[in-house]
Amino acid sequence: MPRLARSEWYDLTRDMNWTLAYVTEEQAWPKDLSNGYGVSTEQWWTWDEPYKITYPEYVHNQAGKDASVYAINAVVNRSKLFEQLDPGWKSAIVAHYGAIAVPEYVAGIGEARMGRFGRAAAWRNMATYGTLDETRHGQIQSYFPYTLLDKEPRMDWAHKAFHTNEWGAIAARSLFDDMFTANDAVSTAIQLTFTFETGFTNLQFLGMAADAMGVGDLEFSALISSIQTDEARHAQQGEPTMKILVENGKADVAQKLIDHMFWRSWKVFSLLTGLSMDYYTPLEHRRHSFREFMDELINKQFLDQFRDLGLEKPWYWDDQYQAEQNWLHHAYHLGVWFWRPTVWWNPDAGVSPQERDWLEEKYPGWNDSFGKYWDVITKNVRADATENTLPETLPIVCNMCHIPVCTPAGYNAGFLNSPDPHILDYKGRRYTFCSEPCQWIFEQNPARFQGHESLVDRFLGGQIKPSLHPDFEGGTITTTHLAGVLDYMSVSMEEAGQDATDYAWAFEERDAAGIEAS
Amino acid sequence: MALIPVQACVDGDFVLNMVPVFTEDTMEAVGKKIAHHSVNRRVAPQDKPLGVRFRGETVPADATVDSAGIVAMDVVYAFYEE
Repeated sequence: MPRLARSEWYDLTRDMNWTLAYVTEEQAWPKDLSNGYGVSTEQWWTWDEPYKITYPEYVHNQAGKDASVYAINAVVNRSKLFEQLDPGWKSAIVAHYGAIAVPEYVAGIGEARMGRFGRAAAWRNMATYGTLDETRHGQIQSYFPYTLLDKEPRMDWAHKAFHTNEWGAIAARSLFDDMFTANDAVSTAIQLTFTFETGFTNLQFLGMAADAMGVGDLEFSALISSIQTDEARHAQQGEPTMKILVENGKADVAQKLIDHMFWRSWKVFSLLTGLSMDYYTPLEHRRHSFREFMDELINKQFLDQFRDLGLEKPWYWDDQYQAEQNWLHHAYHLGVWFWRPTVWWNPDAGVSPQERDWLEEKYPGWNDSFGKYWDVITKNVRADATENTLPETLPIVCNMCHIPVCTPAGYNAGFLNSPDPHILDYKGRRYTFCSEPCQWIFEQNPARFQGHESLVDRFLGGQIKPSLHPDFEGGTITTTHLAGVLDYMSVSMEEAGQDATDYAWAFEERDAAGIEAS
Repeated sequence: MALIPVQACVDGDFVLNMVPVFTEDTMEAVGKKIAHHSVNRRVAPQDKPLGVRFRGETVPADATVDSAGIVAMDVVYAFYEE
């Protein structure tokens, strides 16, 4: 029997749209699960994915990818490769697995929702592949760290983190619940696949794969590359969804969905990728700064896509987003390092004299703004007063992004007009936001966000056993100060983050001025 | 007398801390409590007295949290006086 070319049967097999007779449109696609935003069914049926694939092709490709990357895992685990990696890079990997592995699996819920409630058969077909993709990503990014457990016990946070109340996990859960776990199918296509995946993770994974190869982490490079090829395909569900909204007079809907999720994605992206690129990656292997990466790969590409689709850049793009790229991740890094017992990885300070020179070159003024904090910390480390480099209270946390409010750092660095956070008193409760866009997102839909409690809210509400006036014995990194908080976060003494290089950076010499020797 | 949290840091710090203060604390006491979490941690110590600023105005040193009108989760800054 002659075989038909794919192009001769593809559309027929995937376009299984049908006219409803026994149920209403609203019953089949309830608004909460699939908000059509008033676009007609016939218009949704014009949805057309830019990248076509059949199920046999999908299975063939995925099997090949898995065979390849699991083979690398098997080989690498018989070597000493992991032990030889830079401590900072190991921290980046441990942080990555904890922040990403289970969320990838959970993203399968969002994809599955589109697989059922997407408004065209072609879209549901693509989302089915997306569901399988995300399941694979959850599995592979759980299995690889599992195979490293004997070398780094905290790799179990790949599975554990998302099930805890660790502050980063709270921030990630809040973001991903908003983005896909508790989102309707149409909004998920715009916010997960277009904004987050097309805008951030697809390019981030390309950058991370190259960085991993650069530092000699063949396994992680292969893993990330393998995942990225899936992301590049299923992320394309966003563009046709956007087109239909725009062509049917709903550009304002698409714009608001993007403005909302681009900002939230930026915050977490800055926290994870900003630290990895500018502080955790070994200096000799840094190919670009985080700011350069954002400019070259994310900002330009994303702006081009906005314009191609007839949309505008988000309203905060120039005044706030551009400014934050100069300082936000430096503040987050300082905060993560200072509150290091509260994270599951060992933060690499990344501020040796040579690294400070690099930071000053990439971010002119860094020594005057962020270097001065590290000067105080360095003095304490050199004076063997590490108790002064540890926290005795919680930082204030934003009620939208759930990351500490670092507005004073932005003000001190000259990028904000005030160190003040944004305060909103709403229905008898005080909300604190780190930025105008975070408050704006809240005010667009208070009912969606008002019930969520930040870590600080939970502490003040009595959910966390306080430990505000500890009898600190000092000297070494212990969890004495915030014992109740760490217990709430499920961070044990053995797991609590420590300086990745045991403060080696503080004792490195430099010729040029910058750190005043004690 | 009640213990309330304020959002606070010493000028020059990078983050707002949750600082518990008593409603009867004077600004001198409040300044010390704020400084405990900033000074010699990320802010270099100075041999100068600490003042407290609330809503853009310096609060007299003998004023209390209550008399200054500071309530839970208000934003308060300490600073080295010139």
